Amino acid sequence: MTVEPAAAAPKRAAAAAVSLQGIVKRFPGVVANDGVDFEAAEGEVHALLGENGAGKSTLSNILTGLYRPDEGEIRLYGRPVVFASPRDALDAGVCMVHQHFRLVAPFTVAENVILGDHRGEGRKFVVHPRRVERRVAELGERYRIRVDPRARVWQLSLGEQQRVEILKALYREARILILDEPTAVLTPQEADSLFETLRVMAAEGRTIVFISHKLHEVKAVSDRVTVLRAGRTVATVDTADATPRSLASLMVGRDVSGFERQERPGEPGEPVLEIDDLWAAGDRGGDALRGVGLTVRAGEIVAIAGVAGNGQRELAETVTGMRRPTRGTVAVQGRALRGGDAREAIRAGVAHVPEDRLNTGVAPSLSIASNVVLKSYRTGAVTAGPLLRLRAIREHAASLIHRYDVRGGGPELPARQLSGGNLQKVVLAREFSGAPRVLVVASPTRGLDVAAIETVHRYLREAADGGVGVLLISEDLDEILALADRVAVIYEGRIVGERPVGATTVEELGLLMAGGEERAS
Amino acid sequence: MILAAGGINNSIVVVVLASAVVYGTPLLYAALGELLAERAGVLNLGVEGMMLVGAVMGFWAVQRIGNLALSIAVAALAGAAMALIHAFLVVTLRANQIVSGLALTIFAGAAGLSSYLGNDLNLADQPARHAFAAVFPHSWQTTPVIGPILLQQTWLVYASWVCVALVALYLNRTRLGLNVRAVGESPAAADAMGIDVTRYRYLHTIAGGAFAGVGGATFSLAITPSWVDGLTSGAGWIAIALVIFAFWRPTLCLVGAYFFGAFSGLPFTLQSRGVTIAPELTQALPYVMTIVVLVLVSSAGARRRLGAPGALGTPYVREER
Amino acid sequence: MIRIERRLEQPRWLTIAVPIGSVVVAVGVMTIVLLVTHHPPGHTFRRLVDAAFVGQDDLNNTFVSATPLVFTGLCAAIAFRMQLFNIGGEGQLYAGAIVGAAAGLVLGNHSGWLSVPAMIAAGAAGGAALALIPALLRAFLATNEIITSLMLNYVAALVLDYLIFDSQSYWRDTSSATAKVFPQGKNLPAAANWPAAHLGGIVLPFGFLVAVVLAVLLWVLYSRTRFGFEVQVIGDSPRAASYAGMRTRRKVLAVMGLSGALAGIGGASQDGDFRHTLDPRGLSAAGYGYAGIVIAALGRYNPFAVVVIAFLIGGLQNAGYTLQGADFPSGLVGVMQGLILFCALGGELLIRYRLRLPRRRRVEAAEVVA
Repeated sequence: MTVEPAAAAPKRAAAAAVSLQGIVKRFPGVVANDGVDFEAAEGEVHALLGENGAGKSTLSNILTGLYRPDEGEIRLYGRPVVFASPRDALDAGVCMVHQHFRLVAPFTVAENVILGDHRGEGRKFVVHPRRVERRVAELGERYRIRVDPRARVWQLSLGEQQRVEILKALYREARILILDEPTAVLTPQEADSLFETLRVMAAEGRTIVFISHKLHEVKAVSDRVTVLRAGRTVATVDTADATPRSLASLMVGRDVSGFERQERPGEPGEPVLEIDDLWAAGDRGGDALRGVGLTVRAGEIVAIAGVAGNGQRELAETVTGMRRPTRGTVAVQGRALRGGDAREAIRAGVAHVPEDRLNTGVAPSLSIASNVVLKSYRTGAVTAGPLLRLRAIREHAASLIHRYDVRGGGPELPARQLSGGNLQKVVLAREFSGAPRVLVVASPTRGLDVAAIETVHRYLREAADGGVGVLLISEDLDEILALADRVAVIYEGRIVGERPVGATTVEELGLLMAGGEERAS
Repeated sequence: MILAAGGINNSIVVVVLASAVVYGTPLLYAALGELLAERAGVLNLGVEGMMLVGAVMGFWAVQRIGNLALSIAVAALAGAAMALIHAFLVVTLRANQIVSGLALTIFAGAAGLSSYLGNDLNLADQPARHAFAAVFPHSWQTTPVIGPILLQQTWLVYASWVCVALVALYLNRTRLGLNVRAVGESPAAADAMGIDVTRYRYLHTIAGGAFAGVGGATFSLAITPSWVDGLTSGAGWIAIALVIFAFWRPTLCLVGAYFFGAFSGLPFTLQSRGVTIAPELTQALPYVMTIVVLVLVSSAGARRRLGAPGALGTPYVREER
Repeated sequence: MIRIERRLEQPRWLTIAVPIGSVVVAVGVMTIVLLVTHHPPGHTFRRLVDAAFVGQDDLNNTFVSATPLVFTGLCAAIAFRMQLFNIGGEGQLYAGAIVGAAAGLVLGNHSGWLSVPAMIAAGAAGGAALALIPALLRAFLATNEIITSLMLNYVAALVLDYLIFDSQSYWRDTSSATAKVFPQGKNLPAAANWPAAHLGGIVLPFGFLVAVVLAVLLWVLYSRTRFGFEVQVIGDSPRAASYAGMRTRRKVLAVMGLSGALAGIGGASQDGDFRHTLDPRGLSAAGYGYAGIVIAALGRYNPFAVVVIAFLIGGLQNAGYTLQGADFPSGLVGVMQGLILFCALGGELLIRYRLRLPRRRRVEAAEVVA
């Protein structure tokens, strides 16, 4: 069923707190917003739904004064405004919680809260930390957002950092609060408590703009939804009238199945990846991995679920040799690796699709051709003595571009100019061309549109069908439930539970992700 | 009593400390300036050039106008003007900060603009019309120990102490200082909270140039009241090292400046006492120690604790995807 | 306000136009400076060009000035390509001069022709050894190489002074009468003087030829070999390099060592080609190392461009020495170099970004929130 935009347009609320008309924003080579209309009322939670690349972030950056629109008009409470800078937006009562938090890591919570404030405590020329700390503590009390005002931000978990961002908005008495994908760093339970806070804030007459691409969250928290697609407004609907299915088809522009699980035939084979009591240090010192044990068999997809920052990145890096373990072993096909040596891991048949595909997965300024031989440039096929056979490299790249349907340019194109989906295809093409035994993939579909997600999922299933052991690290439970055979939950560097996907629920996984003790199994 | 004081005041420790304050003062000014720029995230390797231009313009002003306070102001303006070039290149045009700073030193330094100006304004071999002299009466200066070290100094020395206190209070206690530190640590966070990153970087780079200019003028108006090409002889580079040595803290800059100053003055002191030690050895010590300190602070955790600005040396670009 | 946007593609012609434009703008600004300070610009520039590039003697002197600049330019270029900011070319040149002179002094009297390659090798070793200090600190302790290499310039300069002025070192001349009054280095034996190629009346120093050959080799190394590929990847994204299993530490050591070796050969060439003694004053007065960074940046870190630009800047410097005197504005050469570099740095922006005037806003009447 498709909801007709016109039919679904709800009655206009009494006073539009925010109104954006005909917003156009162009970037070199892209039109990010191509005539967006958006309206949110006082006291409502309004979801802004759209695929990655639909223009949600750009729109919110325009609303917070970070970008200036090329065309279009912004009205707050009926009055037209022009934001020359973020400060104008802040002064007008618009606050945003960015996906990547805008916090100063060495500062205390209190210092972050008053940063840039020129009205309240921060107006005074001399800063009195104690008074700010008291005020922050009061706010935390009132909204039940607990965080120590004197703690340094770098000591806080991502979830706590998000609370600091919300405190910043409350401290400034923001009337309009925008949250960009706020649940990515939260467990399902933490997300629920965030939704409660947002409801309380809306009940006080604030306007909450909630940006997401997760349908069930949008259903759970919002009063109305505006759907963006390819830089345009597709529809605004009352949440009560919409179903996840109708929203999905609005978002993608066609009927979609969502993440339907596709059962794969075949029994898993011999263990190809055995991780035993693996410990590793994090970037800030301390143990990021604390005795991880896990086995992946040939032809099996094993997922690691967890809230961001619980050791996932360190696990991927340690297994693939980018990080040296402090204790324990990683064995591939029964042979233990030395550890901390990516080259050895590559030789042993470990392929890796890293989380940060633009700066780790490729060298962004180098050509696609250079990037497809990033790992194989030492092999005989592309070298002659110490010299590189540039033509052979180009031809290899051209054939992979063809086979994996990479669109956007030829072998000489710098990798950074590819879209996210095409970039991921280049990474996958390279990793598969090394004939891997084990594939470690971290957040492989983050930031991709639906079509690209489907393609990536298909490649991962095909790899497993071909006998590769896949270790899928993802913060997206939907993705895990759709793809994996088994799921292990990581919490503070430990595997706190392991379940066959068929024998678990989102609730159970959520509990484990929050550090709930594993029940006797 | 005066006789006894004479004895102590001639002791090697007192003499070295007194010269440490004298030679440390230009380092202190320049380092305070560099510290301001770096705290806002701008690395300026052009300190030497800015100091030299400050020195030559300060000296020109005193010959021309005759007023020392005004001459210092002229020197500060000249240094600030040089810093403005760097700020424009690295903040607005996003040029590489290292290359731009070096270019500034080549442009402004010895065999560059300062030398052009000095020769064009006929400043070489001129006796200074005025120079900074000791503030306190002679009788005070013979006070044991603190006389030569603290009471024999010029206004520039006492003013530098005030500057240290002001800069420290500014950075650590005021709203503007909080903003500066945020801009140097995380310009994206600062920007999102409505702080004008560009303006802060410009202003602090320019203020840094002004301080460097004053530091240069300390040479031409107080230490050796005259102008010769390249009279700072590398003090600008020491100042850059000093900022790291002081963990980006104004108060430690004071200590570090006198420490480094002691080493630059030490060979002369020793020579006058008939102690022959190769001056190169004592002169090399500050550089070697800076390297040692750098090594000690190089682990990422240590850097964070010790205050290296997180975004030092990186341009901030908002509107890019 | 003008807006700055990233270019999707960098047009080729701009990479040529920007350096030329930089020189033009620099000359323009300098003209204004000269006019303001009552120097005739036309006359001054003509004298500058004459003294740099016109006439055999001037041209020969330009080669003398350019030779060390090619070495230090290459030194900076190959390190900067990997985002290793070795600004220690100055000190590495001194180190090369010290060790190179020692080799010349030891071997010159005994082994004849062998002393020239031995001096090159010794100079390279000296420069590389000094460069390895910041390289090791960077590779194993993550110490920023910018400041450490900079500090070592001063240490090397002081060691140089110490060897000639304040010690009875092997390099110091202690026999002749003048040396008692004015300390100076021992003269190199004749066999340790490097040969020069004569083309008509033009004298090409041996060091210059070595530098050109090295530039070609470096170009091949950086654009055609696995080593060069790794350097490119590490320079672009160290994380991608470690992801691909590249040995980043070894590369840091190798590239810094190579970089220092180049400056070191430049130092040895100073001994063998031109000075025929270890000459602290002469070496440190010129600031070859810092100029080399400027040259590398102007040449966008391309070895061939470094050779060409080193020649041009060498001409400028040579003219500066020749014309030193009452009637020629001193410091002009430094100012010119600085101006050209400022313009080139600004021009870099034009290559990477596009400047745009935004369209007039539609909502003229909209109230600006203060």
